[in-house]
Formats: sequence, C-alpha cells, structure tokens
Amino acid sequence: MSRPLLATLLLSLALPLAAADVRELTWSELIPPDAPPQVINPAPIHDLSQLADALAESGPAAMQQSPAAPVVKELNGQQVKLPGYIVPLDVTDEGRVVEFLLVPYFGACIHVPPPPSNQIVHVTSELGVLLDALYQPFWVEGPLKTEHVSSELAEVGYQMEADKIYAYELPDS
Amino acid sequence: MHLIRIALASLANRRFTALLTVFAIALSVCLLLAVERVRTEARASFANTISGTDLIVGARSGSVNLLLYSVFRIGNATNNIRWDSFEHFANHRQVKWAIPISLGDSHRGYRVMGTSTAYFEHYRYARSQALKLAQGREFADDPFEVVLGAEVAQALGYGLGENIVLAHGVATISLVKHDDKPFTVVGILERTGTPVDRTLHISLAGMEALHIDWQNGMPARGAAQISADQARAMDLQPKQITAFMLGLNSKIATFSLQREINEFRGEPLLAILPGVALQELWSLMGTAEKALFVVSLFVVLTGLIGMLTAILTSLNERRREMAILRSVGARPWHIASLLVLEAFALALAGVAFGVALLYLGIAGSQGFVQANYGLYLALNAPSSYEWKLLGSILAAAVAMGSVPAWRAYRQSLADGLSIRL
Repeated sequence: MSRPLLATLLLSLALPLAAADVRELTWSELIPPDAPPQVINPAPIHDLSQLADALAESGPAAMQQSPAAPVVKELNGQQVKLPGYIVPLDVTDEGRVVEFLLVPYFGACIHVPPPPSNQIVHVTSELGVLLDALYQPFWVEGPLKTEHVSSELAEVGYQMEADKIYAYELPDS
Repeated sequence: MHLIRIALASLANRRFTALLTVFAIALSVCLLLAVERVRTEARASFANTISGTDLIVGARSGSVNLLLYSVFRIGNATNNIRWDSFEHFANHRQVKWAIPISLGDSHRGYRVMGTSTAYFEHYRYARSQALKLAQGREFADDPFEVVLGAEVAQALGYGLGENIVLAHGVATISLVKHDDKPFTVVGILERTGTPVDRTLHISLAGMEALHIDWQNGMPARGAAQISADQARAMDLQPKQITAFMLGLNSKIATFSLQREINEFRGEPLLAILPGVALQELWSLMGTAEKALFVVSLFVVLTGLIGMLTAILTSLNERRREMAILRSVGARPWHIASLLVLEAFALALAGVAFGVALLYLGIAGSQGFVQANYGLYLALNAPSSYEWKLLGSILAAAVAMGSVPAWRAYRQSLADGLSIRL
C-alpha cells in the first residue's frame, strides 16, 4: 500500500473518533430539561419589614440553595469537555492544584446565592494544574460521573477525573 | 583539547583577576538560587500545611488573615467566636467533622493551641497525611495535659512527663505566666514540616482552666486565686473559641455552607476555602517574589558584565600572547575560541562555586531558618528549573565572551606579528 493512501486511511479513521469521543458541554446542559424552572420570588429591595431582623439575632437562616439539584443521568460516563473557573481545594507542594471545584463563574459576587449543586463539578486530577490567577478560565476534559443519591443527606452532583486541563482562550472573532 | 589547556593556562597566569571574577559570578549565582529556593520552599511549606479541610471559620476579618492565624500561627485573631456558633455548625447536616481552635497563649515563643481530640483524628497536612504521635498519647480528660509539636520538644529538650508553664500572650519572653497551673507533657507528635511542629496542643478545657481566675484582664490575687485542683472540679466548658475547621460530607456543598456561615445571624462569621485563600496569599506574595527575582537576575548580569570587563581590559596586555600563538600556527579563529572558552571556564567555575556556596549556606543556616521562620530548606539536588537557570547563565556568559573574541579575532588578523605597543 502506498504511503499517502495509508496516511489518508489512518486519518479518516482517527478523525471521527477524536471528534466523537469528547463532547463539548455548556453549563446549561448540566441541568435536566425537565427540571422545574426556578421560582423567582421578587422581594422589594427596600423591605422595611425586615429591618428588625438586622438587629435581632434571630433572623431567618441564610438562603438555602437547592441542596440537591437534579443532574442529567445520561451524562454519566461520557467523555466531556467543559469550560469554567477553578476553585482550588487541594494543592501539591509544587503549587499544582490537584483537586478543585469547577464553576461557571468566579465567586467574587456575593450578591446572589452560590451556584446550585448541578452547576458545580468536583474535579480531581493526577497531574494537576498550575494556577496563576483565580480569575482565569480553563477547559477541563475527562469522563463525567453523576453521583447517585443514596440517602437524603447525600449530595447529588457531578464528578470528574480530569485527563486534560488547559487555558481557555477567547475564540477569535 | 589543546585550546582548553591553553585557555586555562592563560587564566592561571592571571589568577588573581580570574579568581575575583569567579567569586563575583559565584556570589550572584548563589543569590539567584537562594531567592529561588526560598520562594519554592515557602510555597511548598504553605501548600503542605493544610489539606483536606473544606472550610475554616473564624470571626469576620479578611480571608488571608484568618488563614494565617488559624493555620500558620502568623498574626493574631481579631476576635473570638461563641461556642454555640461552633456547635451549631459542627452539628450541621453537611458537616462530617469539626475541629475547634483556641489561640492566644504561648510557651517560650511557641504558640499554644487549645483544641479537641478531633484535631488529631481529622487534621491533615501535605496531601492527606494524618498527624502521628512519636511518643506518648493524646491529651485526655485531665485539663492540664499538653501534646508537643516535634520542634518544640526538640528545641526545648522536653520529654514525656515534663511539667511546663504556659505564658499569657504570644511574646517570646513573657512576663505574665500561668505558673500556678503547670501542664504535663503526655505526648509528642512526629515531625511534619508544618507549623504543627511549633505548636503546643492543649484541650479546650485546659485553655478554659488556665484563664478561669483571670478577672479584669489580670491574674487573680490572694483568696480569689483558683488552684489547679480546684479548677479541675469546675465546669470547664469553653464559652468561646478562636476559629474552627470543617470537613464536609460532600465537596459540592462547600459553597452553600460557606454562604450559610457568612450569613449566619447568630454573630458575624467568616468562612473561607483554604485553597482559595492560599491562592490569594500567593498572588499577594507574587509581586514581591518577582521583584526579588528580577533584582537577583540583575545581580547575575552585573557579575557577567564584570567578567566581560576583565576579559576586555586584558586584551591589550595580551596582544603579545596572541602574536606568539599566531606565530606557532594558531589561526584567528583559534584565538577567538580561546577567549570564548575563557569566558565559559570563568562562568562555569563561578556557577559551580556559587552552587557550592548555596549548599554550604543552606547546610549552615538550616536549623536557624527552621527555628525562626518555620521554613525547612532541604538539601535537594537542583530542580529542573534551577538547571535551566544555570544553563542560561552559562549561555549568557558564552554570548558575552564572543564580544572580546570578535575583537581579538580582528586584532590578530590586523596585528600579525608586528605589534606596536
């Protein structure tokens, strides 16, 4: 067999494989389509009736986010690629982040509640990633796992053993 | 081979200048490597100190501040938090374990930390390593028992069964001591290379007993004094602590619990993710690190320029040397490579001497740095990054050596044997 032919054959074999393997996800795809829509409870900004609570120590507890937001079970085991910000949990002595939470936006915003559990991916990585700044988005690639609900206490959520982590760059427009 | 011999022989002839040049390069290389070493070791020791803790909670201040005083024993707490706030979150359904921390006293400059036995069970450092006891046991029911960090035991020469007196405040030389209530050493922890080594651990009840007769900010006098035995019989339930660490059932819940703690109505609290606070600390230190690095790079550059000057000024004196070499059959490019080799030899000697100086310095100052700054400088082989630095110094030296080489090349072409000095 001639060499160019072999190369073409190999390429044609490899290309669809590479393309089909990794599914590029967006954060909204992590929410099941049949999940109940968020109920927006508009509260007046200047609610004077709450003024007393500011002084009393017995106010309502902090706003509870939906603790066990539903996950898309079909994503379990799929090879995906997802962009997000890295919130480091465990760091090696070389400064590589080997365990982190991947979130769709970085948490300097304290005006709104934190993202629900189906908008957080708990990622572990053997090699880790060197993090220069918290405000830098990354692509994270690997098989996604959906944790099962075993009891009321157990948190549902996404987990990933990352194969590849690389900087997210704005696509040229 | 001959060229190298000639280059070295020529250098040996000018050994005083050559030695000075080598020394200048060595010092600059040593400085550069030392800055790099301290930087990486500081980062490593910070990163190694805490692992597996999901949230640290303390009185509301800054996240870096809270991280520094609760984990690294640097600086002081702004305020205490109430015991019932701790209990509220320790019993939270998302929380797997909770470690209370109470700070503020010391023993000969080493911080004393009041905690519970959960600390020995759940605290992790350096990628999930648990604390281990080298000798003895954890503190138990008696409030006047203390477990020492490895460094404390070693530096002060304490063994099991020793009675020690804790001091009020965190000064090295303390004037107010809790000498009416001595503590007994019941355990010594294994070395961890973290601030745990420099800490004395007592129970929260011990911390409470220590201060039980403190009224109006000073120790009680006369009849108001409470002896250690009386204190044992009293209710030693702590009313307040300084901070606490939390481990969660699910990492995914970190944000929601952090939010809940920060919005806690009972009292103003601050919950931080240690990894995030550490990253913030690093970005703060990053600027200073970069400045130091740039300064030491310039020092290396100065050393190399010193070498260049020394070689260039010697060129005129050495015209006769070159002429003789030419007369015995050396070609102009021989002369040029002679000078490049000379620069390379000087730089290589400088780098080798600098590395030797660095290791000598580390070996000499290791104990002092560890005791005073809590930084363990290991005698490791140079890292790949350090090799790269050294390699680029040598490359820079060769590049600089090509300047006198080119001049000598031109001169030897023009001069031939007839030099008019």
